[in-house]
Amino acid sequence: MGIIDKNLSLRDRNKMLLGIWEDEDKLVEATSELVHAGVKIQDVYTPYPVHGLDRIMGVRRSWLSIVAFLCGMTGFSLAFWMIYYMYVQDWPIDVGNKPVRFSPSWVPVLFEATVLCTAFGMAFFFFFRNRMIWGIKPELLDERQTDDRMVIAVETGEGVDEKKVLKIMKDHGAVELREKTGGVQTTI
Amino acid sequence: MGHGHHKIEIAQEQFTVPAKAKRFAIGLTIIGLILAGIGIATIDKSGTHGHQTEATKHEHAATAAKGGEIAANEHAADSHAETAEHHGNVENKNFGPRAEFHAQSKPWTTRIWSNVLIVGYLLFMVSLAALFFVAVQYIANAGWSAAIKRVPEAISTFFPVGFALAFIAILVAKNDLYHWVHYEHQHLTKGQPGFDAILDGKSWFLNSKMFLIFPVVLVAIWWLLGRKLRSLSVAEDSAQPGDVTFFKKSIRYSAGFAVIYGFTIAVVAWLWMMSIDAHWFSTIFGVYNFATSWVTALTIICLFVLYLKSQGHLKIVSDEHIHDLGKFMFAFSIFWTYIWLSQYLLIWYAHIPEEMSYYQIRFEEYKFNFLLNVVLNFICPFLILMMRNAKRNPVVLTVIGCILIFGHYHDVWLMVVPGVYGPGQQIGLLEIGTLFTFGGIFIYWVLNALTKRGLVPVNHPYIEESANHDVGV
Repeated sequence: MGIIDKNLSLRDRNKMLLGIWEDEDKLVEATSELVHAGVKIQDVYTPYPVHGLDRIMGVRRSWLSIVAFLCGMTGFSLAFWMIYYMYVQDWPIDVGNKPVRFSPSWVPVLFEATVLCTAFGMAFFFFFRNRMIWGIKPELLDERQTDDRMVIAVETGEGVDEKKVLKIMKDHGAVELREKTGGVQTTI
Repeated sequence: MGHGHHKIEIAQEQFTVPAKAKRFAIGLTIIGLILAGIGIATIDKSGTHGHQTEATKHEHAATAAKGGEIAANEHAADSHAETAEHHGNVENKNFGPRAEFHAQSKPWTTRIWSNVLIVGYLLFMVSLAALFFVAVQYIANAGWSAAIKRVPEAISTFFPVGFALAFIAILVAKNDLYHWVHYEHQHLTKGQPGFDAILDGKSWFLNSKMFLIFPVVLVAIWWLLGRKLRSLSVAEDSAQPGDVTFFKKSIRYSAGFAVIYGFTIAVVAWLWMMSIDAHWFSTIFGVYNFATSWVTALTIICLFVLYLKSQGHLKIVSDEHIHDLGKFMFAFSIFWTYIWLSQYLLIWYAHIPEEMSYYQIRFEEYKFNFLLNVVLNFICPFLILMMRNAKRNPVVLTVIGCILIFGHYHDVWLMVVPGVYGPGQQIGLLEIGTLFTFGGIFIYWVLNALTKRGLVPVNHPYIEESANHDVGV
């Protein structure tokens, strides 16, 4: 597993079926039906988080919280090392006769460094993993998926009954059906 | 939405207190009374301030002498020494401005009343914070919490009782618990021996009238607003489905309550807790007391929800709601620590003698308790509740919940005891006994309050959203 998720790339998919929805509830219904029918869904694209969708699609729990913990530990350790080196080893300063070793004045610095590394680490990891970094061209199946439309993408190939997929999509409120071959989309 | 996309049935539920729960609550009270009885039988009834040995007295005098060197406030030092002399306790003459506890002789019964004050104050603040929880949900237009709303409502009915407990303790023993009350009764004027400029300067606010009347007025206002919120909530149950007038009214009353609570809760904290160390002050003290009561209230709400769930009630409450309550416990444990450290850190940095008095005795004479506070209220919940699965596990939540409740009891104990008695006190049978006694009464009261109305606010506009609450994978 690379740090950038290759599965999210759409460029190499030879053929996909796309259904476009306007209604959130119908989208959830359709996803549920497709999953029950044994269709492997590539992904569902929505402009905002839709509750329950992750469970229906069987999305695994994100690693982000573990990354956050590790980043926090890194920040804490770096800050601890920094303060210890600067303040105890290299150049101890007597401020109001306060102790230099492990004094309460360390706490805000340790706290801030931990929070800083956690926040930046999480943000960077999130964008890396989701192919949203410099140099990678965004691949949108439909530009409206960032606004008011929702897209279900199903990859076709061996053992996928295209007619069945399209029927389920149509029966559950898809406003548009499309087929994507390479970079070309055609309305069905 | 959710699983298989079927509509979740929302039905009214009626709670009756199971015999086992009654036995538990009554048993806790009886065990508490027995422990407190043994505690009372074994405490030293002759001394003025508990188990102060010769050794600690000497040690203390040494610390005080050290402190006296940097004492800028010579005036306060003089007045203290004089007051001490006035009461004939020569060994405390050198105590300097850092010691807040007063050398006046105290009857042994003070120990009982200080315990009633601690537990009464904690339960009062916690029950009031539960009402604040209800108000916050309305103001924030929160949907998820509709299903558990009756639990904080039931807890909030206890706050006049907790208030009364603390108030009785204060009425009976204010002269011994608060040294400024003792000072006030001497009616000293400038120039007289024993005159204390700091207490005199504060007397426009810190006087017996304000001390007794202000909190009663406040509690009456809070009680009226709380009663209104609860009656709106119960009236909604029998309203037409889709009628949002009760909900909209509740938002207005909640906003009013939150503003009043926000400004006034600190006043009670100043008058009843901070004034124990009357020379000392801290501008963050009100927030600190709120933080303690708020995290304890969230914990108690969580424990009651878990109990009702285990009895087969609150059918629409799922792991998702429990998870959110666990997040609250986790988050506000950190909030408490943040406020606790903010108060400590600024005083530690500034190193001004009259500010340090509070921490000097707590850090030097009560070091174990001072550090235990951080372990119980920060390290335990922080490390354990950090994990997602822990926040969804009833057993883990119950264990951490009990640690947090004891931890915050211990926090209030540490606010009171060093200021009243000076060094040398520990949590003993009397303390645990008082906590159990009133804890048992509290549990019985809240369970009984839960039976008074349906457990589910069936006509709450967000009840369906709450039933479908999902925090994701």
